[in-house]
Amino acid sequence: MTEVVVPIGPQHPALKEPVNFKVVADGETIVRLELDVSYNHRGIEKAAEQRDFVRVVPLLERVCGICSHSHTTVFVKGIEEAMKLQVPPRAQFIRTIVAELERMHSHFLWLGVAAHEVGFNTLFMWTWRDREAVQDMLEEMTGNRVNYGTNEVGGVRRDLSPDEIQAALKRLPRLEERIAKYAEMVSKEQTMLLRFKGVGKLSKEQILKLGAVGPTARASGVDYDIRRDDPYLAYADVPWKVITDTHGDVYGRTLVRIGELQQSLQIVRFCLEHIPAGPIRTNPPRAAPRTEILSRYEAPRGELVHFIRTNNTDRVERLDIRTPTLANWTSVAVSLVNQNLADIPVVVAAIDPCLSCTSRITVVNERGRRIGEMTWDELSEHGRAFYRARGRR
Amino acid sequence: MSVLKEMFENLAKKPATTLYPKEKVPIPPAFRGRIAIRDEKCIGCSKCAVVCPTQCITMVASEREVEVKGRKITRKKKPEVELFMCIRCGLCEEYCPTDPKAIYLSNEFSGAGPDKSVVVK
Repeated sequence: MTEVVVPIGPQHPALKEPVNFKVVADGETIVRLELDVSYNHRGIEKAAEQRDFVRVVPLLERVCGICSHSHTTVFVKGIEEAMKLQVPPRAQFIRTIVAELERMHSHFLWLGVAAHEVGFNTLFMWTWRDREAVQDMLEEMTGNRVNYGTNEVGGVRRDLSPDEIQAALKRLPRLEERIAKYAEMVSKEQTMLLRFKGVGKLSKEQILKLGAVGPTARASGVDYDIRRDDPYLAYADVPWKVITDTHGDVYGRTLVRIGELQQSLQIVRFCLEHIPAGPIRTNPPRAAPRTEILSRYEAPRGELVHFIRTNNTDRVERLDIRTPTLANWTSVAVSLVNQNLADIPVVVAAIDPCLSCTSRITVVNERGRRIGEMTWDELSEHGRAFYRARGRR
Repeated sequence: MSVLKEMFENLAKKPATTLYPKEKVPIPPAFRGRIAIRDEKCIGCSKCAVVCPTQCITMVASEREVEVKGRKITRKKKPEVELFMCIRCGLCEEYCPTDPKAIYLSNEFSGAGPDKSVVVK
């Protein structure tokens, strides 16, 4: 049979964010998938260079609507490392609580979206209802459902009162019960088993070769989690374990995420019960010394990296954000080969893509009306020329 | 089968949603809502306008006698906030030196309306 190219996106009713797929299909089977991201470049990295360390944090919070705490934590962690600040343990515990609640709401959201993609909308409604409990906890603790405004360089901005801790602890048993129910449901429910098992399979070798991160990697047996391998916040003091699975398909990724929901709940409970007393912030110096920091963080979707270069001023000279979605995209294109056309939504959803966070590169047509894309060499040359023109390094 | 059990359990329960305009959802005390200004407390120091990440606060001329640490001074300026540029981060409240805060985030939500250029004075 002849091959047909099916273009999907960038604007499409089925997509929530702009992305372009060129699906080369032979009948119902996918031969090749070409991906084009970066339709939503927002220039956040450049904007971050214009703001001092106080005003840049609310900006970075808005890189992603789901993992807003991840982006600020990884950034302030890097700046604190550059300034050689000792953050009080109470601040670290509060950050950990918010981070794990964020992971829980993200995984609940993902479970709902994955169920929605296979047409199991009942589960979508249930998980999103239970996600509300997590969101309410976050709202009570931080003042907002999405952009928590918790972090600042040197500590956290808001303390937890004993009443808030008790109120949060009271909500946990119900959530635990619900998570246990979903764990049972996933392994028994035919709708999910039929659509998840064997779909989008990736072996451990493929994952390592493609550089996938987070639950996608752990579902294929890659035992790798920044929280354990490069401990930050309070993770070194909290008992928990890394969840891995050997299925390697969407089913495995679901199991990993549900396991992580259970682990996150345990971490939140431990942190709420064992939160140390003391101050919640230290006064940071205004400027950070000249240095380069690579700050890593285990966001709900995987390893999040911020490269920060500081230069003795109160703002960053360069901030580079590598979101987990960018690391996971290639694994989607590879795992969809020889799959059914109808499996595209669920395999794409399985990495929990977050497209606006991923969009980083803009095509610049400076010289004449050249239409096309920038090659990697052209892009790096453009970057060097830009910074040279600015008169630094 | 686990789905059927869950369905029958849910049948006996009330709906999870609230009838929004009729029933108001409870607002936690820490909630960051619409920005508000206590004009009589403001000493015109401009700290809020300097720290605001979106630069939605402008200092406008407004003379008034205010008391700072027991001394009477005449302040020259006061803040005005362009409401729909405000991202409710609460930095202005944190940096405001007065007590109670002259600029703060109230608990008010549901601020939708047809007018885009609302200014909080």
